Amino acid sequence: MGAYLSARGLRKQFKDTVAVGGVDVAVGQGERVALVGPNGAGKTTTLLMLLGAIEPDEGVVEINGRNLAHDRVGAMAGVGFAAGYLPLPRYLSVRETLEFFASLHGLSDPQAAVNGALAQWGIERLADQKTQTLSSGQGTLVGLAKAILHEPELVVLDEPTASLDPEVAYRVRQGLLRLNEDLGTAILVTSHDMREVELLGQRLVFLARGEVLHEGPPADVVAATGDADLEALFLRVAGIGQGAGS
Amino acid sequence: MKAVALRHWRAQARQPGYWYILIALPVLDAIMFASIGVAYGEDDRPVAVLVTGIMLFHLVWQLTLNAALGFLEEIWSSNLLNLMTTPLREHEFLAGLTLISLVRTAVGIILVGLTGAVLYSVSPTSAGLVLIPGAMILLLFGWAVSLGVIALVLRYGESAEVFSWGFIFLLIPLSGVFYPTEALPGVLQPVSQIVPITQVFDAIRIGLDGGGIAWGQLSIALAGTLVTALLAVMLLKKMLHSFRTKGLVTNFS
Repeated sequence: MGAYLSARGLRKQFKDTVAVGGVDVAVGQGERVALVGPNGAGKTTTLLMLLGAIEPDEGVVEINGRNLAHDRVGAMAGVGFAAGYLPLPRYLSVRETLEFFASLHGLSDPQAAVNGALAQWGIERLADQKTQTLSSGQGTLVGLAKAILHEPELVVLDEPTASLDPEVAYRVRQGLLRLNEDLGTAILVTSHDMREVELLGQRLVFLARGEVLHEGPPADVVAATGDADLEALFLRVAGIGQGAGS
Repeated sequence: MKAVALRHWRAQARQPGYWYILIALPVLDAIMFASIGVAYGEDDRPVAVLVTGIMLFHLVWQLTLNAALGFLEEIWSSNLLNLMTTPLREHEFLAGLTLISLVRTAVGIILVGLTGAVLYSVSPTSAGLVLIPGAMILLLFGWAVSLGVIALVLRYGESAEVFSWGFIFLLIPLSGVFYPTEALPGVLQPVSQIVPITQVFDAIRIGLDGGGIAWGQLSIALAGTLVTALLAVMLLKKMLHSFRTKGLVTNFS
């Protein structure tokens, strides 16, 4: 499986704090990777460097063979992004919002792309609703629709199910699995929900204090550390609880 | 560019505050300044000077304000990260903001001109052809200031919002929009000469007095405005770099 996204030696320091200290991340074509770690582990900083929103002090990010620092537009053409905490532009309808982002991706038929994305997440009924009136769950689903408008090769998701009720969170997870299985879309996801990580992540990259602590299929990582499960491992690394490997 | 302009037109059209800035402020300003001219002037000239002045003031102010407010709308919507993770280039975004700002600025100055013409019988083109190069220089200056304001908002966040409307107010009294800069206190007169648009307003007054196009003043104004624009572009590039290296996008997400 060739790497669609490949980052090597990513390092970022904010004043005296090393947020990310030399991280390698790769996501293969059609692969599902989960980036996990306790608060302050450097997940979001890593993710934002992978997306070009934060410039690394050191390291290289390549997406589809294009160097992100030198060809951001080309590199990002095949990437979609959504975050559970990220609102949508105000005072626009859902359809107008999605058409706007479809246009930014240079799609020749934005309306068809919007209809397809709305159908993918089963939210056609929200098309004419103003974004500021959406519930948290509806906003997340629209954000996900935004992320897949241009049928990206890779979808990057930061805490996509944070503060969602179980029903919407289930729909999100199932939708992402469908996207991956039906279209072969690669997924890079961060989450604090370890059951979600086990479900979505074929491979996980476990960060702690800005470095990769463990990497591999979730079951292999748990087996290697001797913890009861991923949650126990997470709690042990976070300094809470007594994992078997402690 | 078109997508950004359309997105902002839709968002602004649905907010009453933007309509107030677009319609009420230019009309009220025109009424206030023209009435001052009527009250204290002995002939039509003061009204013409004040109406032309407020029209040109709105040319600069509306462009700066609308571009800055457009950018702030992205911040208030926490939309910067969404934009940064698309293939949108910075200059395309700025071009879209500039386009919608130009449209709104055009509406504003047309309203000032119409108010002067209909209510005070003052032609908005009293100054003659000098208005064309003068307006071009003022637009360029307003665009440069808007880039500077966007740069400051990028670096200092919403606390720099005050510059979106306040910076031009700093320059307006110094640049002699409504009076020759000789009317300023002596200590401020040298300062007024380093404000690039001072020479534009001088040229406009010469035009109002029937003196034709003062190319000398306009050339000085253009040179100063080009330097201002260059500095603004450099500042914006520096702040964009700082924005990415300091990870400031997390402050707006």
